Amino acid sequence: MDLYPLFEWLDTSLLADISKAYGGTFAVIQMFHLMGMALMGGMVLVGDLRLLNILLRDLPSEMVIENTHKWFGVGLTIMIISGIFMSSAVAMKLYYNSMFAAKMAALATGIVFVYAIRKPLLAGDHTELNPWTLRIVAVTSIMIWFTVAASGRWIGFS
Amino acid sequence: MLNEILLSLARWLDSQSWSTQIHESIYLYSWIETTHVLSLMIFLGMLCVIDLRMLGWAFDKVPASTIANRLDKPMMIGFAIMLISGFLLYYAIPVRTTQSIWFRTKVILLILAGINAFLFRAKMQASASSWDLDPIPPKRIRVGAGLSLLLWSGVVITGRAIAYDWFDCRRELPYAMYWAAGCVDEMAAFQ
Repeated sequence: MDLYPLFEWLDTSLLADISKAYGGTFAVIQMFHLMGMALMGGMVLVGDLRLLNILLRDLPSEMVIENTHKWFGVGLTIMIISGIFMSSAVAMKLYYNSMFAAKMAALATGIVFVYAIRKPLLAGDHTELNPWTLRIVAVTSIMIWFTVAASGRWIGFS
Repeated sequence: MLNEILLSLARWLDSQSWSTQIHESIYLYSWIETTHVLSLMIFLGMLCVIDLRMLGWAFDKVPASTIANRLDKPMMIGFAIMLISGFLLYYAIPVRTTQSIWFRTKVILLILAGINAFLFRAKMQASASSWDLDPIPPKRIRVGAGLSLLLWSGVVITGRAIAYDWFDCRRELPYAMYWAAGCVDEMAAFQ
C-alpha cells in the first residue's frame, strides 16, 4: 500500500499551513515532543526497571506499573499530537525518509505491545506470573521504546 | 571582559584536533547527541516521577521520601551521562555555542534548577517526617516541585533551541542581543 496520498494530504493540510507560515512553530512543538519523550521514557524505565527488580524493590510492582502507566499515556498523547504537527511541516520529506518509516513501525509495535500485551498481562497479581515472563516483558518494552526514541532522533540526521 | 575570556577559551578548544574530529565525523557527533537526548528519559524521567509525587499526582500511597531516595541514584546517573555528553557537544562546536543566547540561557536555568534542587532537598529532609505519608504534600513542597519541572523544562527547551540559528552572531541583530550572546566582534563593529 502506497501512503503517498496520505503524506500529500498532510502536506497541504491546515496544520502544514500553520507550521510553514510561522517559522518558530515547528521548533516550539518539537520542544513539547521532547518533554513528552522524557515523561514517557521515564515512566517506561521506572516501570520496567521495577519488573527487573532493579528499582523501587520495596514497592509492589503492581503499584509501580499502575502509577507509571497513567503518566505513560499522558506522555504518549503529547508525543503523538506534537508528532503529527511536526510531520505535517515536513510531510513530503518524511515520505522518502527511511528512518521515519522505521520509527513509525517501532511506534506501532510499541503501542500494540503496551495496550494489547503489557497492560493486560500485568493487570493482575504479578506473583502469579513466571518471573521470566516479567523480565522478558520489561526488556522487550525498553528495547522497543529505545528504538522509537533513537530512530526518531536519527530522522533529523538522515 | 568575561565575554572575551569565554571566547578565547572557546577558540582554544576549537583549535584542538579532537574538537574538529568530533565535529566532522559522520557518526560520532550524531551518536553523542543521540546519547544526550536519550538520557533525558533517565534523568528527566526520574525527576518527573519524583516531582509528580511531590505534587501529589502520582504514587500518592507511597511515602514521598521513599520515591525521592530510591530514584535519586538513577536520576544522578542520567544527569552524569547528560553532563559528559553535553560537554562533548560543547567541545565539538565551542565558538558558536559560547556565542549562543540559547546556550547562555540554558546555563543560567541549569544553575537556577540546581539551586532549587538543593533548597528543595534541604526543605524536604527537614520536614519530611511530618508529611511523608500525606497523599498531597504541603504547599511549599508542591511549589518547589512545580518550579523544578518548570526550570528543567526550560533547560530542555533552550537546549533544543541551540540548534536554531535565529540569533547567531552572523545575523543582523540589535546591540542588546549581541551583548547577551557575547558577540564580541559584532559589538566592536557596532561601535
